[in-house]
This record gives sequence, C-alpha cells and structure tokens, in this order.
Amino acid sequence: MQFEKQVTDQHRLNRRHFLECAGCGFGGVALQAMFASMAWAAEGPLALRAPHLVPRAKRVIFLFMAGGPSQLDLFVPKPRLAQYHGQRVGVTNLPRGIAVGTEKFLTLGPAAEMAPRGDSGAMISNLMPHLAGVADELCFLHGMQVDNPAHDLATLQFNTGVVNEVRPSMGAWVSYGLGTENQNMPSYVSIHAGSDVRTHGSAFLPAAHQGTVIGSIPQDPKQSAIRYLNDPQTPQAAQRSEIDFVQAMNRRLLKRVAEDRVMEGVIDSYELAFRMQAETPKLVDLSGESAETLDRYGVGKQPTDKNARACLLARRLCEVGVRFVQVTIGGWDHHGNIRDALPKSCAEADRPVAALISDLKARGLLDDTLVVWSGEFGRTPWSQDLSGTAPIETHGREHQPESFTAFLAGGGVKRGYSHGETDEFGYQVIGGRVHIHDLHATILHLLGLDHERLTYRHAGRDYRLTDVYGNVVREILA
Amino acid sequence: MVKGVQFRIRGQWVCPLVLAALVLPTIASAGETDPLTPGQAALFEQKVRPLLIERCYACHSAAKKVNGGLRLDLRRGLMEGGDSGPAISPGKPEESLIIKAVRYQDTDLQMPPDGKLAAAELAVLEEWVRIGAPDPRADTAGNEKTDVDRAAARAHWAYQPLQQAAPPAVGDSQWPLGNVDRFVLAKLEASGLHPSLDADRYSWLRRVSFDLTGLPPTRNEIQGFIDDDSPLAWEHVVDRLLASPDFGERSARPWLDLVGYADQIGSANNVPAEHAWRYRDYVIQAYRADKPFDEFIREQLAGDLLTARNIEERQSQLTATGFLVLGNVNIVESDKLIMQMDLVDQQIEKVGKTFLGMTLNCARCHDHKFDPITLRDYYGLAGIFSSAESTYKEQRGVWSSVTKSPLPETLDQFTQREAALRENAKKVAAVHEQRVTAEARLKELAPLVKAARENPTAAAPGAKSLADLEKEQAELTKSLSTLEQQSWHLKYLEPSTPLAYCIKESARVADAQLQVRGNPHVLGPAVPRGFVEAVTHGSSPTIPADQSGRLQLANWLTGPASPLVARVTVNRIWQRLFGRGLVGSVDYFGVRGELPTHPELLDYLAGQFIRDGWSQKRLIRELVLSRTYRQRAEADDSSQVAIKVDPENRLLWRMSPRRLDAEMLRDAVLAVSGELKPCKGGPALAPEFMENVGGLNPTDVNPVSFSLSKFRVDQRSLRTIYRPVVRSSEQQGPAEVLNFFDFAQPARLAGDRPTTSVASQALYLLNGPLLKDAARRLATELLADTTLTTDDARLSVLYMRALGRPPATEESIAAQEFVTNRDASTTGTDSRSADSLAAWPRLIHALLTSNDFLFRL
Repeated sequence: MQFEKQVTDQHRLNRRHFLECAGCGFGGVALQAMFASMAWAAEGPLALRAPHLVPRAKRVIFLFMAGGPSQLDLFVPKPRLAQYHGQRVGVTNLPRGIAVGTEKFLTLGPAAEMAPRGDSGAMISNLMPHLAGVADELCFLHGMQVDNPAHDLATLQFNTGVVNEVRPSMGAWVSYGLGTENQNMPSYVSIHAGSDVRTHGSAFLPAAHQGTVIGSIPQDPKQSAIRYLNDPQTPQAAQRSEIDFVQAMNRRLLKRVAEDRVMEGVIDSYELAFRMQAETPKLVDLSGESAETLDRYGVGKQPTDKNARACLLARRLCEVGVRFVQVTIGGWDHHGNIRDALPKSCAEADRPVAALISDLKARGLLDDTLVVWSGEFGRTPWSQDLSGTAPIETHGREHQPESFTAFLAGGGVKRGYSHGETDEFGYQVIGGRVHIHDLHATILHLLGLDHERLTYRHAGRDYRLTDVYGNVVREILA
Repeated sequence: MVKGVQFRIRGQWVCPLVLAALVLPTIASAGETDPLTPGQAALFEQKVRPLLIERCYACHSAAKKVNGGLRLDLRRGLMEGGDSGPAISPGKPEESLIIKAVRYQDTDLQMPPDGKLAAAELAVLEEWVRIGAPDPRADTAGNEKTDVDRAAARAHWAYQPLQQAAPPAVGDSQWPLGNVDRFVLAKLEASGLHPSLDADRYSWLRRVSFDLTGLPPTRNEIQGFIDDDSPLAWEHVVDRLLASPDFGERSARPWLDLVGYADQIGSANNVPAEHAWRYRDYVIQAYRADKPFDEFIREQLAGDLLTARNIEERQSQLTATGFLVLGNVNIVESDKLIMQMDLVDQQIEKVGKTFLGMTLNCARCHDHKFDPITLRDYYGLAGIFSSAESTYKEQRGVWSSVTKSPLPETLDQFTQREAALRENAKKVAAVHEQRVTAEARLKELAPLVKAARENPTAAAPGAKSLADLEKEQAELTKSLSTLEQQSWHLKYLEPSTPLAYCIKESARVADAQLQVRGNPHVLGPAVPRGFVEAVTHGSSPTIPADQSGRLQLANWLTGPASPLVARVTVNRIWQRLFGRGLVGSVDYFGVRGELPTHPELLDYLAGQFIRDGWSQKRLIRELVLSRTYRQRAEADDSSQVAIKVDPENRLLWRMSPRRLDAEMLRDAVLAVSGELKPCKGGPALAPEFMENVGGLNPTDVNPVSFSLSKFRVDQRSLRTIYRPVVRSSEQQGPAEVLNFFDFAQPARLAGDRPTTSVASQALYLLNGPLLKDAARRLATELLADTTLTTDDARLSVLYMRALGRPPATEESIAAQEFVTNRDASTTGTDSRSADSLAAWPRLIHALLTSNDFLFRL
C-alpha cells in the first residue's frame, strides 16, 4: 500500500506535466479508475475547451464507407442511365464537361430499384431496407466532391483535408477544439481504421489528440481490442511485480535527475497501460447489452456481425463521452460485377448503420450526436469491365470524385432533407456543391467551432482543417 | 466568393493569415487611368461603391476577408481578379466574370451567395462595366505595412553576416576545456548559475556512444575506457566512434527525415521505390567519409552536373540527386502540370527547410507574410527546378514515376551483372520450357476430355477416367497461370544496368512564370531564375541561359548564403548532441522562429565550420570533447536554483537526459541481446519473393506494387535504418517500433521529432515482441555461460550490457530479490534452474523497460 500511495502522490505532483506530455493516448478508461475523484478538467491537451459558437452537436460518429459506395445504385436514380443501359456514353448526349475519353464506355443502369421513403420521400435503394426505415432522420448531400480519384489520397483528403501532406485528421482537430467531455476517456477512437496512420493521426497537434485504434472487436472480452493490450503468457500478478520493479528503478532515476518531463510521462504511461489492460475489455464487452439491442444491430449474425459490433461500440463510446468515433466499413470498391457485389456489401452494412441511428434516437442521443455517412468518393455513371470481355451485366463502376452522395443525421442538421443535385447523367454537380472542405467546415460549425478560428500554430504558420477553403453549408442546418 | 470555380491546388501552402494582404504587384497592371469624368465619378461614388461595400466587401476586401483571392476594394483587385481570373473585362459585361456571377446565370457561380441582387443593382454594375469600369480608388491600399515589415524582416539576425566574437572571459578559468565551454560558461555565470560536475565515465561513454553511433557501448569498450589512464582517454573513445561504420548509420537517419525518404514512390497503391536504397547508402557513406558538407550540398543539388574523377564518384554524384526527387510525389495526379509544380514546390520546401531554415514554399501563392521572401524569390527558384526533369509519365494509366538514371558500372559490377543475367536467363528458359510442356499436354488433353465427355462408357481399358482427365486439365491450367506470373517476375528481376533516382537537366530550360495563388494554369509574367535575395551576401552566381541553375544554386548556398546555411547546419549537429538546438526551432530560423540561446557561440561554430572545410566530424569531435558535453545529467543540491531559473536547461547547466529515438531503441535492444548484425547496405525491399510484388502483368492499368509479406532471413537482425520505409501505412514487421516512438512520417520533412509518452508505447514495451524476444535470448545466453557461477556475476554482466554500468549495491539486492521472489512464487516445480529460466527473462525484460535503458543520460 505504501507503494500505491507513492504512485498516487507522484501522479498528483506531476499531473500537469503528465497532461502536457503524456496525454491520454488511449488510457482513458484507466484514468477513470485512477482519477475518478479528481477535479482536473482545467488543464492539459484534453481539457474541455469552450466552443466558438452555440454547438448543435457534442460529438460525432463518422461512418466511413471505404472504397466508395455507388450513389447511382443507392440514392440517386437517373432515368437516363436505365434508358441508355449498355449503350456507349457517346450516344447519350453527354452533359457538359464530361471527362474526355469516356465516350466509348458503356452507360450502366442501376443495380437495384430505388423508391421514395418515409415522409421525406428520399430515394433509397431496396438494397438498404433498414436505412429506408430511418429515412426521415437523414439529411442527404448529393453534391459531394473531393479532389482525387485514388483511394488512398481521397481517403486522406476526406480525413485531413489535404492529399499530399501530413496534417491532423478531422477527429484530432475536433479533439483539439473541444477536448473531451469525460476527462477520463480518450477523445478520438477509430474502429477498424485503415492502415494509413495519417488518416487518424494528430500530425503536429499534441499526440493526445491522435485516434486510438481498435483494430478488431474481440468476441471474447479477454482478447485484446488494442494492439499489445495484453500479454497472454504473463499472469497479471507477475506483470504487476515486474512493473513495480521497473517503477522503483524509474523513481530512483527521476530523483537523481530531479526533473524530466518525459521520464515522468513514461512513469505515468506504465501505470495507465497496466490499468487499461483491466478496464478496456469492460467497455468493449458487449455482453451486457440486451438481446433486443444486439438483435437490432445484427450482432452475432452474419453477414452483419463485424459492422454491428463496431456500430454498437461506437454508441457505447459516445455514451461514456468520447468526442469523435470513426467506424470504417469497407467493401464498397465495386469495379466489377456490381450487381452481384453491391447487395452483399449492403447486407453487411445496412442493418448496423440503421440500428445505430434508431438506437441513438431511442436513447435521446441523436439530438446532440452528429452521424456522418460517406465514402471517400462515389462511382461513375459508366461501367467498368475488369476483364475487357464480360457482358454488361457483370460490369462495375469506376471511382468518381466529381460527385457523390453522403448523408448526415442528428445534431443540428435538417431531418428528411436532401441538398444538392447532379446532372441527368449523375456526373457533374449542378447545384448544392459540397466540397470536402465545406463538409469539414459544416461539421466543425455544428460542433460550435468556427473553421476559420480553429487554428494551430506550427512552423510559424496558423493551420486549419479547412486550409484556406471551406464554407458552412447553411442550407442543411436545422 | 466565386464558389465552385475556384481552383483547388493540391498540396499547396497558403497561409490563411496572408490572404488579407494578397498582393501580386507585378501581374497584369491595371494601367494608368484617366481621371474620371463627373458622370463616371457620380456613377461610381453614388451607385457602384455603395453596392460593392454593402454586398461584396464582407467576403472580398482586405478589411474583412478575401475569398477566392478576389479583392473588390481595390481597382487592381477587379482587374486581376481571384482564383478564377480577372473579375471584369472593361467594356464587355458579357465577358466579365463578375457580371456572370451576379446574374446567377451559371449554377456554379452565383454572387452574392446569400441572394441575388435586385434588377436595378444589376443594371448599375452592367452599365459601369460597359463604360469601362472607371474606378478612382487606389491600387495599393493596405499594402504599405507589408513592405515596411519586409524591410524589418531583412534585418532579422539570421540573415546577417556571421559575427566572429572572441571567446569571452570567464570567472572560473579552470572549468573550460575549449572555446565552446567559454561561451557556455560566460552565459551561465552571467545568470548566476554554475555548470554541473562531470559525468561518471560509464554515463559519458554510454551518452557519446549513443549520440555518435546510435548504439550502446559493449562490455569490452566500457572496460577499455575505464582502464584507460591516459589524459587522452576521452579523445580515444571519440576517435574510435567517429571512425566506426556505425557513425554513418546513426548520422544518416536524421538526414533522411529531412529528405522525406521512403522505399515507396508517392503514397498511392504501394508503388515501390526499388532504387531508393542507393540514396540511403550514399548518405551513410557520405557521413562515414566525412564528405565536406559543401560538397554534400553540391552533389545532392547538382551531382549530375559535376565532373567525376572515377566511376565510383560518378555513381555517388548521380545517386546524390535523389535528394531532390525522393519525396511524396503525387504520381497518380492526372493533371501533370499540377503534379510537376507540386514536386517543384516540395523541392523548394526541402532546400529552404534543410539548408536555410526558411519556409520558402509559403511564397508559392503570395509574398511571405512575415519573412523576407517574395513571390519573385519563389518563382526564381521554381524556374531552376522546373528546368529539370524529376518525373516522367508511365505507360500505365494516369501514372507517373520519378526519373531514373543508369549508373556507370565498374568492371567488377559489370562482370557480376553479366553472370547474374546468365543465371536469370537460365531460369527464364526453364520456365519457358515448363510452359511449352504444359501447353502441349493441354492440347493433347482437350480432345481426350471431349471424347470422354461425349462417350463416357467408351473409355479404353487403362485409359484415364474423365474425372482424372479433367483434374489434370485444371491443374495444368492453374500451373500455367503460375508459370506466367513467374515469367513476368523473372522479367521484372532481370538484372539491368544499376539505376538510381536522379534529377536531370530538361531539354527546355526556361524561367518560370508567376502563378496566381499557386495555380499553374493562371500565369503572370516570367521571373528570371535566381535565389533568395534577402539572405544573399556578396554577389550571386549568374545562371547561364542554357542551364537550369541547380549548380549555381548549390554554389550560392555554399557561397553568398553560407552564413545562414552554416548556422542551420551547425545548429542541427548541436541539437543531435545536446537534445535541443542553440536555436530551438531547428527547421525555421525565420522571424517567428526562436532566437538563439547563445548567438555568439552559434556564429563562432558556424564560422569555424566553414573554415574547417565544412567537416562535420571535426565539429562533432570538438563538441563531444567539451566540458559542456561532459556534464552530468543528475542534479544535486546546487542544481535547485538552476532548475527554477532554467528548467528547460537552455543555458546548459547540465546535460539533458534524452529518451532513445525509435531506431536507437530497437538497435540497442538487438545489440544488447547479441542479435545485431552488420550490414553493407543494399535493397530494402525484397522483390525476389514473388509474394512481395504485384501488378506484374504488363497490361495492368496500375503500376507494379510491393508488399512486405516476406523478408530476407537476415533482415530481422539489421539496424533499423535498413528496414523498408513505407509512406501509406504503418511501418511493418520489426520496424513497427517506429509507429510507437515518434518516427517522422516520411511525407513530413522534419529536422526534429517530438518525444511523446503515451500509453501505447508502454503497452508495446510491456507486451510487444521486441523486448520479450531480446530478454529471452539474453537470459539463455547468460544462464548458459559457465564462467558466470553466481547471481552477482550474472547481474554484473547483465547491467553492463543493458545499462552500460555495474549495478549499484541496492540495485543488486533488488534484482536478486526479484529473481528470488519469482522463484518462491512459482509453484509446481522445485527445480531451481527451471525457475531461474523463467525469472531471468522477466528481470531482463524489466531492465529493458526501465528509463535507465530507455534514456541516455
């Protein structure tokens, strides 16, 4: 016990230093146990920060559809495509500005029927029956744009605003702008994140704002959700005695050098790490959820289980105060055989996504939680045939950064609303253009942050998530 | 704002602050205008000006903001326009962008965005443009301040000639070992502080070994130093370390951080930079050989333009220019002009940051807001780099790649390649033969299968059944596809003339034109190729009309700009040894950068560095042999004042402890556990394994890609600098340590790395494989060593190897308790040696997890 007290004193003494240089990493849960009785919200990189404006949402769940879902098969019916299905793009009276060289491609009609849903009449494909059930909660953006047709770079831009530099990610900016409501939690968690660390990194922002990655949500709560969270070979008591030995050494050394922030940070990080090993699994353990809830998301069923767990965990993280949760749902890169593949991808994602929205609503969380659903880009009106010889019925669609569809739901956006439209071919935006910079500006605005005032000084310059761009899309604000 | 038609230039640097003062003074002058007639003046003052103020200034004026780069509060602003080009075409309302915008005739361009003007207002603007847009307003409103600031910025300390101050007198004349110490001590004394005592020999040796080689001292090296009674013992150590090949590996890595080095081209689709390792090896060799830094600069900027004395030197010179082309090139960008200018921008950024400590790339779009860097400076440099070739268009899809040059071969290399080529040809022939055989057999099978299908019962006795025939057919088809892959793979591996990523002079050498807000599609007048005016001392080299100017740029850096270049370089070396630069912002010496803590010392070192022939080793030698460097990191009673007055140790009253960086950490763990193997360099990627290469089919629309699924057997034991560096994902396999410990993302050119401490690091150290494997290995070795018969003896060896010192008595007791407790607590066996086998790895693991290991004092 003597030792425990020392540790606590050490923490108390170095609390400010700890916050400055150690941050929370992903030690929030551990912190909860450690500092439950401490009122220390005023300091540190994750301290609560006042927004610039009256916030409409307190937190964000970003459902990232990696690969680029096809808006033309899911949300945007274009009669021209059905009419000219299988014919060369060149015969369809090209809309202005269409990319050179596409004349020879074949126009591709939708893979499934779309129908008006709910009171709003938003068009949603038959492939997404569950989402259709919450249509009146959604606010569609049909004029989305990014600048790059390659996955990695468009994904990077979607997350950071730029394609060719290391800049902080959206979640890191939000964490930096607002801190976390629960000082004992990490502020930004990315579930099933892609491999590019830049998409959830903090770049030049303090490391405490970087996304904590949950690579896979274990079925067995004893298994580790976070890399190297546990050492299955070593019993906890044995590890504790090793950590005690190490910390005794560390304290002796720290005493000898009298003051060193990084050394103090390391000492704190070991305690955090040890407690995280015990605490994190509880949060990730979904077994306490009701059978009805598990069923609603599709937990334990195929093909929904993986995404269902992720969406459900996203809700749980929001409930304990995580500011920004990203869930990556892959499988949308339908270059070939979209008629066969798209229904499968929808079957994996539709139920969990719709369940998340209705569950948040049922719990009263949707009012101040902003849900964002989008791919890094959309897909083309013309077909792509990977083999070069296949019949049109087995073709897919190419990447399309020029226009695509995203939807928002919850905190501060209009319900049952659609904004933006594309030409009759589904290629160029003809109204309501929302560039990714504009979406970033709007997300920040909804959180009460002015995207032009949320800056960070680095290398002599003030940086913004929106660089020098971005307009809040006022048309969609509730 | 002209929403929707603005050009979004990827990767550009635009200082948001600066938009309010956007100036393009040299572009498209609005020309002299005649005084307004009374009628014109009335129209403007009564109708036009109020309209602009009321409906436009909120988004298009210096006082508010300048959306889309368009200012409507200046006459010139209208003429020059913003990102979309001139806002008006005087006399031609139909061709004027502003009229189109206010008419809402284009869905992408509707101004003001919050509501269309009234018809009468619209008519006013149309009429005004029709009569030639007479405008009495000034052209320079709001810019005078910027010009004044720029003059002040030129007087900034970093851009002045070197001041050669004599080393100051000090009170305690016993303490200094050399001039560096005199500068440091004088500052300390002036602040009422005292230097700390000398470090003990163990600490100093571990410190200098890590700082110079990135590795801990071996037991023999420690013993040698402890036993060296000579007053030159420290010199002996330093000379040994500087001569060690490990010095090159340690020193090269920070340079690669600045270059944005990776074994991947761009960050899309895992495109391999197969030849990048040659540049990495070049840098390592340059440090080993103490290549004079001015020559290092010349080779990297213009090696291809130098003359060589022999083949090896030519190889080095060409390879060195990889400095300019290895970076995060957006090779999938379909607008090749944008791709090229983005790379030029990166080259300018790199030169600015690395050698000058300047953010030159801010001036891509506008004069620098607070540093004396103008658009003309930027486009003067841009002309130099755009007159060189850095990329070329690939055959596949929209892809480009980085230029490569064949390297001349020595006779040995040529002979070896010939042999390798013959080997490869044999393999090609073997695969070909297998393909021919398989194809022939498939031909035979086709009629047999057909016959068996048509008449299943008529099979001759002993003939294969239909099922067997079909099985054989399927297997052959599959193996043919594998064979095809193999033949592509062999083709890909065919030994060619050695290649390196190099820049080349372009056939078209020309000055660059100014670009409106960095948009290469909207051009202003050409700017003569040149350098940064504000930091030039003396006359600059002239650039001949038929040369890009890279060589002259190198000569300018090492000549007229040398005071700044030397300051920046000396400061980087200081930072690596003392943990913090004399100028804290090592990559930025500009107006908003940090001031030097010891300006006279910085200039003294910079001047001496130049006089010493730009030798980095001589400088390092002097610094690590200083009394300043020899101070201990531990505090004592007398340090209490210093901790209060100078907690960050800027005045150098002690040595600052430093956590090992990611490479040092892993390398040290390998060294301590005896796994580390020396390396001669060579390819980081392992394309010889077919599973590591994709997209080999020559008809693929995407370029060849790589993965890191398989490593060569010995790659695991090499220093971290030899591991492949990827841009678009986490670092892989044993290099994953980099993901946890602040490795510099290769897309970010950085002269320093932050030192964070977050829980993920603790988890990696506690539960990850790096320390566990090492602990197990070292424990096995210790326990198998029959010369070590007691725990005391083992602990002595262990502490020496892991921490570079013997254990203190209390540590020895604690460690024995740790092992014993473990013995006592382990149940199920009473075999003491088996228990020890379990306990020792835990103890070693604990030592490697401790700050005593993770830090160098």
